[in-house]
Amino acid sequence: MRAPSLLLLALLSAAGCRRERRSFSEPSPLQARVERAEPLPSGEPLSHFLDNAWAVSEGARLFGWYNCAGCHSLGGGGGMGPPLRDGAWRYGGAPADVHRSIVEGRPNGMPAFGPRIPDYQTWQLVAYVLSLSGRLRLDVEPGRPEAIAIGKPPVMVSKKLPSAEPLPEAP
Amino acid sequence: MQASSRAAETLFIAATLGLLVFGCHRGPADAEPPTGRVVLIGGRLAPASGVEDGEWRKVAKDDANTRFSGLATITPGNVATLRVAWTFKTGIARGHEAAPLVVGSTMYVVTPFPNRVHAFDLKAPNGTPKWTYEAHPEARAQGVACCDVVNRGAAYDDGRVFFNTLDDHTIALDAATGRELWNTKLGEVARGETMTMAPLVVKGRVLVGNSGGELGVRGWLTALDARTGEIAWRAYSTGPDADVLIGAAFKPYYAGDRGVDLGVHSWPPERWKIGGGTVWGFVSYDPELDLLYYGTANPGPWNNEQRVGDNKWTSGIFARRPADGSAVWFYQWSPHDLYDYDGVNESVLADADTPNGPRKLLFHADRNGYLYVLDRANGQVLSATQFGHVTTSRGVDLTTGRLNYVAEKQPHVGQTVHDICPGSPGAKDWQPMAFSPKTALLYIPHNNLCQDEEGMQANYIAGTPFVGEAIKMRPGPGGNRGVFSAWDPLGAREVWHIDEDLPVWSGALVTGSNLVFYGTMDGTFKAVDAKTGALLWHAELDSGVVGQPITYRGPDGKQYVAVFSGVGGWAGAVVPAKLDVTDPTAALGFVNAMRDLPQRTRAGGTLYVFTLP
Amino acid sequence: MTGALDPASTQALAISILWWVFFWTGLFVFAAVLVALVVACVRGRRRARREGSAAEAVPERSLEQRRERAVLAATVLSVVILIGLLVASIVGGRYIYGNPSPPLPVKVIAHQWWWEIQYPGPRSSDLVVTANELHLPAGRTAELELQAADVIHSLWIPNLQGKRDLIPGHTTRLSILPERVGRYDGHCAEFCGLEHARMELPVFVESPERFSAWLTAQRRPAPAPSTPEAERGARIFTKGPCAMCHTVTGTDAAASVGPDLTHVASRAWLAAGALPNSPRNLRAWLSDPQRLKPGSQMPPTGLSESELDDVVHYLGSLR
Repeated sequence: MRAPSLLLLALLSAAGCRRERRSFSEPSPLQARVERAEPLPSGEPLSHFLDNAWAVSEGARLFGWYNCAGCHSLGGGGGMGPPLRDGAWRYGGAPADVHRSIVEGRPNGMPAFGPRIPDYQTWQLVAYVLSLSGRLRLDVEPGRPEAIAIGKPPVMVSKKLPSAEPLPEAP
Repeated sequence: MQASSRAAETLFIAATLGLLVFGCHRGPADAEPPTGRVVLIGGRLAPASGVEDGEWRKVAKDDANTRFSGLATITPGNVATLRVAWTFKTGIARGHEAAPLVVGSTMYVVTPFPNRVHAFDLKAPNGTPKWTYEAHPEARAQGVACCDVVNRGAAYDDGRVFFNTLDDHTIALDAATGRELWNTKLGEVARGETMTMAPLVVKGRVLVGNSGGELGVRGWLTALDARTGEIAWRAYSTGPDADVLIGAAFKPYYAGDRGVDLGVHSWPPERWKIGGGTVWGFVSYDPELDLLYYGTANPGPWNNEQRVGDNKWTSGIFARRPADGSAVWFYQWSPHDLYDYDGVNESVLADADTPNGPRKLLFHADRNGYLYVLDRANGQVLSATQFGHVTTSRGVDLTTGRLNYVAEKQPHVGQTVHDICPGSPGAKDWQPMAFSPKTALLYIPHNNLCQDEEGMQANYIAGTPFVGEAIKMRPGPGGNRGVFSAWDPLGAREVWHIDEDLPVWSGALVTGSNLVFYGTMDGTFKAVDAKTGALLWHAELDSGVVGQPITYRGPDGKQYVAVFSGVGGWAGAVVPAKLDVTDPTAALGFVNAMRDLPQRTRAGGTLYVFTLP
Repeated sequence: MTGALDPASTQALAISILWWVFFWTGLFVFAAVLVALVVACVRGRRRARREGSAAEAVPERSLEQRRERAVLAATVLSVVILIGLLVASIVGGRYIYGNPSPPLPVKVIAHQWWWEIQYPGPRSSDLVVTANELHLPAGRTAELELQAADVIHSLWIPNLQGKRDLIPGHTTRLSILPERVGRYDGHCAEFCGLEHARMELPVFVESPERFSAWLTAQRRPAPAPSTPEAERGARIFTKGPCAMCHTVTGTDAAASVGPDLTHVASRAWLAAGALPNSPRNLRAWLSDPQRLKPGSQMPPTGLSESELDDVVHYLGSLR
């Protein structure tokens, strides 16, 4: 009796080991002012944001604070702006494309936030936006939102991040 | 032992009963009748203006906003044979909310963004295009249009066609050639302003207003000189009296609207600058009283806790002089609006011949769910009657003019309030009603929607939304999302109604032969009997109908009916904008109620013209 | 002295009196019990010795009677003391939560990790929105309406009142009748995340005249920039990153997820008591807030050195 429970306990605690590394302090201004619209500088891999539950949850907060939710809706279903949870991308769905959309804006109404948001926050937003269409690892996706219930995207799109080419338009 | 357990049982039952009784006494019953009272029983109604000319020179047919045409060639007897005369594809797959205009032998239509104007020669067969004007509005204006990139129509006066572009230009064209005569920029896209409304021309002044109440825009109505395009005056909906054009002539009927600079002091400091009150509905005009009437939209942000006060002069109606814009009276439908109940819905002007003498009336079906009858000379509310399902208020106090809100339905930050009826699009949104002097009835296309709502902090960033509410809409009682009803404004009662599965987002049209036309969002265009509501004819169009039907006499003497198909607008944006139906809060919560729409219609944009064979 | 035992308000006085009543009663009971214990020990030992030597037992019955009497007396005394404490608590509670009219309404909204303070006025436009400083007039009850924007916080100003939680989506209330002018410390007393420890709320109890002068000054919109540096700073502020989160009343910056900065230069502290308000500290805070308050939701602004100078200049002019 004791041996199986000990085994179970060991297994349970082992499950807790593979948690992503969290960094609670933000990068210094130098780091924050990395070249706009470039993939992150060396030494700061993209996974720092995309594989990081805390970055995604910060992105969720900023999605509301910086009014992304105003146009793209709280759950990313769209409204004044296009939906972000359907896996279709007008300007490309690779992390660098989404980053460029936020930083530089797009001609049909997406404003440029580049000069007003530090780069690390832009990447946190990118991480959250990608999570909306189910493109991040399950364990870093945001949990149940506290706001009025929205629910998960219905179809899990491929776990592989899309390439830089935009997806073909639906017929 | 036995006795004591029985005593305990009795005590328990008594306590339970006591609690139940206690629970019964919570608040007054919801079923209280509205306090609206009718004062004009036995009145006879006539429209405030209009002699039948067979044309359709203004979006609402006349200055009184009746959408009534005296044409009577198409009758309840022969309407069943109505068939398509010609069609025109605009090539734009967005919400087509505009009304065509017919002046002489030319028809003018303005499309949604990119706001093309087409003129058709009606003497030539099948709508031969006469000219086309390209407005080339800025593409980024699409990003600040709250509720699809619609346009509600053009105006015609003295050989000129006037219309607004989404990027805040008012443009005058030569009606004969389509040449641009003047082009005046009136607003800033970067601040969230757009223009979607149909202008009205009164005494050589083009009256236009802005949209953007969801983006912290400050609302205004502007009068432009029809010859030069110069701004004659601009009346803001918020701010100091000088900006609102409130002066010595301002005599509101109710005490709550009197005072100095209420447009400043009924707001938290400086918040009137981003307080909404946009003017995107239809304007009415009474030549005898020489007064303009128009509604002001919701205050911003939607989150009411961020704007304590009555938020003058939003969600109300102004009466102004067309010459200098000076305000004569104001009445606030929804003081300190809690639910995005814009006050912009059109006002129909009619005169009643009552036992106590003639009365000049104004009918207005508001988003807050009440059909108001006002004395349009002084702004007194004569009656206010619920015409839809309302849980957010209990009637209008006719002595103070104030709407009595239900405290439990007030949204708060961090709390979800359920069963808010009507929802934010109101019991009736912009979709204009029609009024027939023959039947003395109003024909009201409206919604039956409720919503759950949670307040959240709205953060103002210029040019981005300023809302602060998470909303999920759903069908109201009965499960049907729309209603088309005939309403007796003097008797303050419904005469007949048709339940529609989808919100009725199209305008209404009524003719001298007692035919009423309207369309549904799944693309059915209908003719019903104005007296009974019986369905007499219908046609399936290629896309949902959110436009305003019109009728006219062609150069060949035949009567025609014209309407745009092309689903869109706030209710229909889910189709052309391909919104994700799995997010209930998409399109400010409207998508939750319209999840089935993409399966029931597709995006399009076609002008349909019908006539008898 | 900071603390609940140096009361500066009616409510804190009630709390401290109650505290002393409980303290002295507790001390008395504690002492009495100790004395009784010692007496019992000494007596018991003496009796045991007597029994051992004389082998003549005290009659069982009288011993039993004495014990019963002692237990009865102790029970009665305990009940009386407990009832006394109950009465003291109820009376004290009346003072703590009683609400003499008319109170000064103040709204306190806790955010991670700062305090938003609002003073409603007679008209909507008289509303004052400030942050991280609570000003109260002496001799007038202030009724605090407490809300939280994100997680549960708790407000504790020991010299003035007991603790009260601030809960998202639920309004709680707290009345304070300050009696003594002075500066007191308020704290967040409920763990609320990384910077819980740096979520201070300095409280200034002022004479009614000083308070109303302060309130009048706060009601004014921000002064227009008067120097070229401040003008440049104002432009950077309203067009740049600052306006994404902050308000300066009278300018285009009207965002509200960060503290209202309309009169930031009139405040004694920055970042909810994290550092004293001085141009040097402000500059350091703007250039790298994460070093001074790690985890704070204020991001590095990414402004250049000269831009920082201008913005510091501008903010310094917002008195």
